[in-house]
Amino acid sequence: MSQITGEAYQRRLERLAAHPAMANDNVTLPKGSWTGAARALIGLGVAGLLMTVAGAFVYNAKHAVASYSVGVLCVTAISLGALFWTMVFHQTNAGWHATIRRQLENIMMNLPLCVGLIAVMLIVELASGGLLFSWMRPEYADSPLLTAKRSWLNEPFLVVRFFIYAGVWTLLATKLYRFSVDQDRTGDRFLNNRARFTSAWGLLAFALTTGFFAFDFIMAMDFRFFSTMWGVYYFASGPFSCMAVLLIVTGMLRLRGRLTGVVGNEHVHDMAKLLFGMNVFWAYIAFGQYFLIWYGNIPEETAWVVYRKQGGWENLAAVLAIGHFLIPFLILLLRPVKRHPALAAAAGAWLLLMLVMDMFWLVRPMVYTPASGLKSPGPGAMWVDLAAIVGVGCLWAGVLARRIASGPLIPLKDPRLPEALDHRNYV
Amino acid sequence: MAFADYFPLPQKWIPRGLRSKPCRHFMPDGSPMYGVVAEYDTAASVYHAAEKVRDAGFKAWDMHSPFPMHGVEDAMGFERTKLPLMVGVVALSGAAAGYLMQWWITAVDFPVTVQGKPPGAWEPFIPITFEVGVLSSAFAALFGMLAMNGLPRFHHPLFKSERFLASSDDKFFIAIEAHDEKFNPEGVRRLLESTGASRVDLVGAE
Amino acid sequence: MSATNPDRIISERLAGIVSGAPARDPRDDGSLNDDPAVRPPLVLNNRSFGEVTDIICGYAEHTPGKWWLPMFLLAASVAGIGVTMILYLIITGVGVWGLNNQINWAWDITNFVFWIGIGHAGTLISAILCIFKQKWRTAVNRSAEAMTIFAVICAGIFPAIHVGRIWFIWMVFPIPNYNSIWPNFRSPLLWDVFAVSTYATVSVLFWYMGMIPDLASLRDRADRRLRRAVAAGAKKRLPDLIRAYVFGLLSMGWRFSSRHWHRYEVAYLILAGVSTPLVLSVHSIVSFDFATSVVPGWHTTIFPPYFVAGAIFGGFAMVLLLLIPARELFSNFKDFLTLRHLENMAKIILVTGMMVGFAYSMEFFIAWYSGNEYERDAFLFNRVTPIWLSDRGAPYWWAYWTMITCNVLSPQVFWFKKMRRDPRAIWVVALLVTIGMWFERFVIIVTSLHRAWLPGEWHMFFPTPVDMLTFAGTCGIFLTLFLLFLRFLPVFAMAEVKAVLPQASPHGHDDHDHDDHGHADHGHGAAHGSGAHPGGHGPSHEKEAH
Repeated sequence: MSQITGEAYQRRLERLAAHPAMANDNVTLPKGSWTGAARALIGLGVAGLLMTVAGAFVYNAKHAVASYSVGVLCVTAISLGALFWTMVFHQTNAGWHATIRRQLENIMMNLPLCVGLIAVMLIVELASGGLLFSWMRPEYADSPLLTAKRSWLNEPFLVVRFFIYAGVWTLLATKLYRFSVDQDRTGDRFLNNRARFTSAWGLLAFALTTGFFAFDFIMAMDFRFFSTMWGVYYFASGPFSCMAVLLIVTGMLRLRGRLTGVVGNEHVHDMAKLLFGMNVFWAYIAFGQYFLIWYGNIPEETAWVVYRKQGGWENLAAVLAIGHFLIPFLILLLRPVKRHPALAAAAGAWLLLMLVMDMFWLVRPMVYTPASGLKSPGPGAMWVDLAAIVGVGCLWAGVLARRIASGPLIPLKDPRLPEALDHRNYV
Repeated sequence: MAFADYFPLPQKWIPRGLRSKPCRHFMPDGSPMYGVVAEYDTAASVYHAAEKVRDAGFKAWDMHSPFPMHGVEDAMGFERTKLPLMVGVVALSGAAAGYLMQWWITAVDFPVTVQGKPPGAWEPFIPITFEVGVLSSAFAALFGMLAMNGLPRFHHPLFKSERFLASSDDKFFIAIEAHDEKFNPEGVRRLLESTGASRVDLVGAE
Repeated sequence: MSATNPDRIISERLAGIVSGAPARDPRDDGSLNDDPAVRPPLVLNNRSFGEVTDIICGYAEHTPGKWWLPMFLLAASVAGIGVTMILYLIITGVGVWGLNNQINWAWDITNFVFWIGIGHAGTLISAILCIFKQKWRTAVNRSAEAMTIFAVICAGIFPAIHVGRIWFIWMVFPIPNYNSIWPNFRSPLLWDVFAVSTYATVSVLFWYMGMIPDLASLRDRADRRLRRAVAAGAKKRLPDLIRAYVFGLLSMGWRFSSRHWHRYEVAYLILAGVSTPLVLSVHSIVSFDFATSVVPGWHTTIFPPYFVAGAIFGGFAMVLLLLIPARELFSNFKDFLTLRHLENMAKIILVTGMMVGFAYSMEFFIAWYSGNEYERDAFLFNRVTPIWLSDRGAPYWWAYWTMITCNVLSPQVFWFKKMRRDPRAIWVVALLVTIGMWFERFVIIVTSLHRAWLPGEWHMFFPTPVDMLTFAGTCGIFLTLFLLFLRFLPVFAMAEVKAVLPQASPHGHDDHDHDDHGHADHGHGAAHGSGAHPGGHGPSHEKEAH
């Protein structure tokens, strides 16, 4: 079958522009809206981060850095999830996603911010000689396990790798965003094909960088521990949490009277299905990893898990099993929940909380290890964690809100837009 | 679907409440009438015809198409099936039963320490629990669907018409049954003819 | 039209006398289009519903060609040899195999994992593509599901005969018995029993359920011919009588009612929904057979998703391996399995090949990163280094490098559009991938076992003729069953193919332009399924192009 001519496509674009759902006040926010909210969020974020710094002085720096890392890893997972979905949708020529893709891209464009936040984390680690990254510490320098992997775990190479991860993510995000924004202006439908090609190699680059990022910035906190699944495990937090944010963002835009007839309950249904499916995927990966370590029961792996199953952390593990998997699984099985914008967004919000719990369970036990010689100040010190996580989250959300308000809410001239506007789930 | 259609037993053997209703309409030759069947050539025409039949308030009627047509619940005005709920209940009970079986055998009936694992540990039971849950939901989905559809049912008045067999090929049909309260042969025929049917026939019940 | 004389039309068409419009260029059958504004057609040559029925039922009602019977006899003979070998094994004992005290899982488990991996693709293709609403699944789902079941049959043979005393096989099931012996629910091998039998059952249910309407179509055609034969007083009725009874029983009296279709579609979606995690779980459980142990090369946490990716990879390769020849051997097959479909599958081969490559590299990296000398040795020396290159190298290096070449390198040709769209190139890569996936299992099993902790335990594994003939025999069983399927059952999901034709839309795509329609319809929402243009935008815009 031949291509359609440029003129015919122009006519189609004109018809599309005349679609009642495409009215300007439906697909853009009024000028200056959400600026107050964005400013407040960013302010709250900065305040949270300042409190975290205060926490470093009140308790200890390691605690504050760990809390900050939890926040950073969460928002990075969400942003990476958005990058992943954007690339997958391009790669599969998906039709229905056209009306939600701009919001995905907005979330994805928070990756440069995440890179900045990770850079702070890295600088603190380097400057402090390894608060969390214990392999930087002189007392382990002679550990045979460390010397065996010294050619990977050393400061200069870590910095190089950080620049590679940061470069790949920023490049992919900006490139895909640019294609989309350019299309709004020019209406060139073949930009989709270029985005598709970028996504093809992008997914490969994404898989490798995300995997090794997870090795370097989470797994290597305990240099003795290793798991081939680790990269997939961290990745698995991205897709569902990104869908959760997307459900919340589109829900809020609909509350503002935007996107009427553009993002309908059919889209909510599909987003919620992906939320459900990818959350099950997370559970599969998390259980698979835990299960094999539990079964193999060999010291170098098991020590890591054992430490997270004692001293109170076992309660958090139970919260994850029930709150991250079991309850959302049963609730999101129900079709009415998936088709209800508010309920689906609420389920998303719950899963975002669980994302924080998951990262918290991974990172925070590293602080008051027996080897560290630090004494836990007890639950009273939780305000530092709260401040850091809320701080990072608000900063991230503020930047996102500002970007959402600054442009059209959907890709205005996407060739698949008519298909997405008519999207419906039949069964 | 009535019990009496499904099990063609003598009337007196069937409990009173389940007996088929006496036939009110008859074919020209005096035999009981099943209903009126209209044939359509395109998906669009049968879809719009279904909307009209729905609006005319019929209850005991059906549409036949060679493939599942989308949006037909709306055109025909029936409720979404409760099958998923049933499958969900069966799946969860199946999974629970699978877990209990393993736990009882391993931790209660004959506890043996193997592989250094505690007899009651939940982790090793997950795979089989999951499999049993899936197995029961698959059976529930297929057989639940068939039961709700009243299948298998190898005999049906519609099969008598050779033209109707084209519903498995390229034709579309609407059949309105004679026991519908609003049914009267002439009115129904007029209604179906007005919807663009290419042919309208009376079908006998036997 | 088909109602007048289906037999004449179909036989003419099968003989190539009447065919659809010829494709303009053999390298482009009309399904390839890079315009993102146009959805390519899923079925070529503007087939009508009647033609779809005639063609697909025609496959099941006629011998496909002169090639069929010789091929069937050949496959059946090979299967016979396999059955003989199995009987020989049962009568004599597992000593007739090449496995030994050190490499106690070898050829048999390699074949088991190989077949079960292939067996995963069918249901996965069907179920996942169904959940993701990939309408091109209609081109492959039925044959892929059939392939699944046959592959699972082949897979089930190996662990069953591997147990040695097969007459005790009932002990794997939790049956209350005189000795009060229960199976060990903490053994991955027992999970395998449950997983594989569940998988086989659910795959059969899924396949069968999808086939009910198509079997009813076959029943109705036989029924119609019978009625005409009776009316004309014709004598030759037996084949149609058999068809009418067999298909009649199997189709359960399906009468294409919309109320039935509605429940059917919901049930089908549920089955697809449970099959997807089922497939993941089954191959994950197969991977647990290895990964729950502490053998270097086996105990690695990425095994579950890695095995699943490998299964999709190998399964798609097998689908292509079977269907690309079928495309040539059956007339009009190409209308349903277009170059676009092949290209999509080539892309999936590329993606899953790289997932497998990702897992290989993660294993390798972590083996090094662990700092554990046994882990490092298992990968760096046992697998990678040829024995002639280093004293620490291993004799099975060629297996590892075959695996890498076939699984990671060969699919890379699909980066090129030209390769993705050339059936011959795809077939060659599919063959290489199938070989590579067999070697992957061989590498995991034999290479990891042949150099265990102590040098005193080191052994080699050599397959005996019985080993090899048993494997060949399962290939024969697989092919025999597949040929029977091609001959007697609907090869495409007919009802689903019809549902994705442009004229299946209840809103009459010929009447008006799609976009305008979309606008008018969008406002009042639910009553009209306005997006029901399964063929996508393509067909309705074709007139714009000319």
